[in-house]
Amino acid sequence: MHSKQRAWFWNAVFFAVIIGIGCSVYLAGKRIDYTWRWDRVTPFIINTDPISISAERNGTVEINADQSQITLIPDSGEESFVITEFTETLVSDGDLVFEGDTLAELHGWRIGPIVEGLIVTIEISLYSLLIALALGLLIGLMRISANPAARKLAIVYIEVIRGTPLLVQIFIMYFFIGTVLELERFTSGVVALSVFTAAYVAEIIRAGIQSIPDGQMEAARSLGMSYPKAMIYVILPQAFKRTLPPLAGQFINLIKDSSLVSVISITDLTKAGREVVSGSFAPFEVWFTVALLYLLLTGILSWSIQRLEKRLSASD
Amino acid sequence: MTNTPDDMIVAKNVDKYFGELHALKDVSATVKRGEVVVIVGPSGSGKSTFLRTLNQLEEIDSGSLMIDGTDMYARDTNINKLREHVGMVFQSFNLFPHKTALENVKLAPLKVSGRAEAEVHESAKELMYKVGLAERMDNYPSQLSGGQQQRVAIARALAMKPSIMLFDEPTSALDPEMVGEVLDVMKGLANEGMTMVVVTHEMGFAREVADRVLFMEEGALLVDKKPDAFFDNPDHPRLKQFLSKVL
Ligand SMILES: Nc1ncnc2c1ncn2[C@@H]1O[C@H](COP(=O)(O)OP(=O)(O)OP(=O)(O)O)[C@@H](O)[C@H]1O
Ligand SMILES: [Mg+2]
Repeated sequence: MHSKQRAWFWNAVFFAVIIGIGCSVYLAGKRIDYTWRWDRVTPFIINTDPISISAERNGTVEINADQSQITLIPDSGEESFVITEFTETLVSDGDLVFEGDTLAELHGWRIGPIVEGLIVTIEISLYSLLIALALGLLIGLMRISANPAARKLAIVYIEVIRGTPLLVQIFIMYFFIGTVLELERFTSGVVALSVFTAAYVAEIIRAGIQSIPDGQMEAARSLGMSYPKAMIYVILPQAFKRTLPPLAGQFINLIKDSSLVSVISITDLTKAGREVVSGSFAPFEVWFTVALLYLLLTGILSWSIQRLEKRLSASD
Repeated sequence: MTNTPDDMIVAKNVDKYFGELHALKDVSATVKRGEVVVIVGPSGSGKSTFLRTLNQLEEIDSGSLMIDGTDMYARDTNINKLREHVGMVFQSFNLFPHKTALENVKLAPLKVSGRAEAEVHESAKELMYKVGLAERMDNYPSQLSGGQQQRVAIARALAMKPSIMLFDEPTSALDPEMVGEVLDVMKGLANEGMTMVVVTHEMGFAREVADRVLFMEEGALLVDKKPDAFFDNPDHPRLKQFLSKVL
């Protein structure tokens, strides 16, 4: 009973602290005389502004009977312009219009730059995650190989990559290797992130494999399995299960690290945020939104890995 | 000294070092088809090391090893092929924890021998029945007692249809009440004519089942005798000393 009461108390403390932090952020905003304008951010997430469709030449408008098509017949005698995608007509049949006049509006919604950035961030993270996993597995296996060439190459790779800042690696990848191999920005970014993350994945996988008792490899080999078969069917499935939590952490880092590729002008979530700040004059709202979206991505990733872990724990 | 076709294991002048440690000293022994040979000796005497050289979990530094007529260290010997004929059972079972009992038994026949799933499934079930675990086939190792795990491990080794079975203290990690069930399975195998090399502290098993008992100490093979002579007339002073402690 006593411990239950205490748990209640500390839960109350938890909420008090959270609310306290929320209030101080709000008050800090007030103090510096900042007007919160969340409505300025929404168009950059989902844009509902109508698109105006304007006349490309001076000419005459023709609208067909069922209002489904606007045709602009230019005075110059050029071929006519046909408009079929619109929601509201702003001209009538037979009107004379000048170049630049608005003929119609298209309503609906489009994704804004922040969501576009979010999609780029998801793409970069996903490609990098898959490549880093494959490359990390390879380097990890080389790291524990009996072959000195393979082992030493793996050690050099891991030390070099872990011993230099990611930002510098991205610059080198883009300006040097990217130029030599004529890589696109996006490719350079993905390669830099994969190569960086793979070094950490390799160490995680090495530790995972080494945590499996030697008896497992011996039992597999004594049944006649070759080393690769023993790895594939016996060691790696067990090691994978144990490495899931640290791998999850590494992949969450990957998502966050992907924000650094904005330095080579890839319009990911962070770069989109920077651009939107200058267009909306609402820096606080924009950065909070960006942070929330990163949190959403990392949250989804860690949730799905936890589910995978649960499913794999059937044999425990 | 020529080998007869009935010689399943012929070890000649085997030496093994772990760095400075001389773990096997000039060990020579022969095991014939269908023989059960038990190895005893004090802890650290090299029993496991010798057993593990017989399927090359340990490589020897000098000497020679013939397994069922194949020179283990010949250039053209495929060690994986050779190991298929030499089953091994470990003190700590070493079952694959991510697979059920039945999957443990099926894995090597499927992935190593490439036998058909249906046939492997049937023969794996038969083996589970043979070791008395027909009811526990779908359990994971963590859901089985030590004795049950060890019997699964025996079934797993038998699934490769080996001609030799090696046992390294198969009952040492078991609670006393489970030792019997594992020894019974081993006795059954011996009666079927399986060639077996068993490292164990179960002197009763040695006396009852073994055709020959070997005594090792400090890496050397000191005694190689029939059980009666081994236990009742130990003439080697070190063996006398050892038996006075364990019997
Ligand atoms: N991989 C290894 N590296 C170094 N030394 C080893 C290794 N394996 C065994 N040894 C040493 O070799 C000697 C023989 O060991 P072995 O395991 O064969 O003894 P054993 O007779 O099986 O003993 P036990 O009854 O305790 O199992 C011991 O001194 C042991 O410490
Ligand atoms: Mg031993």
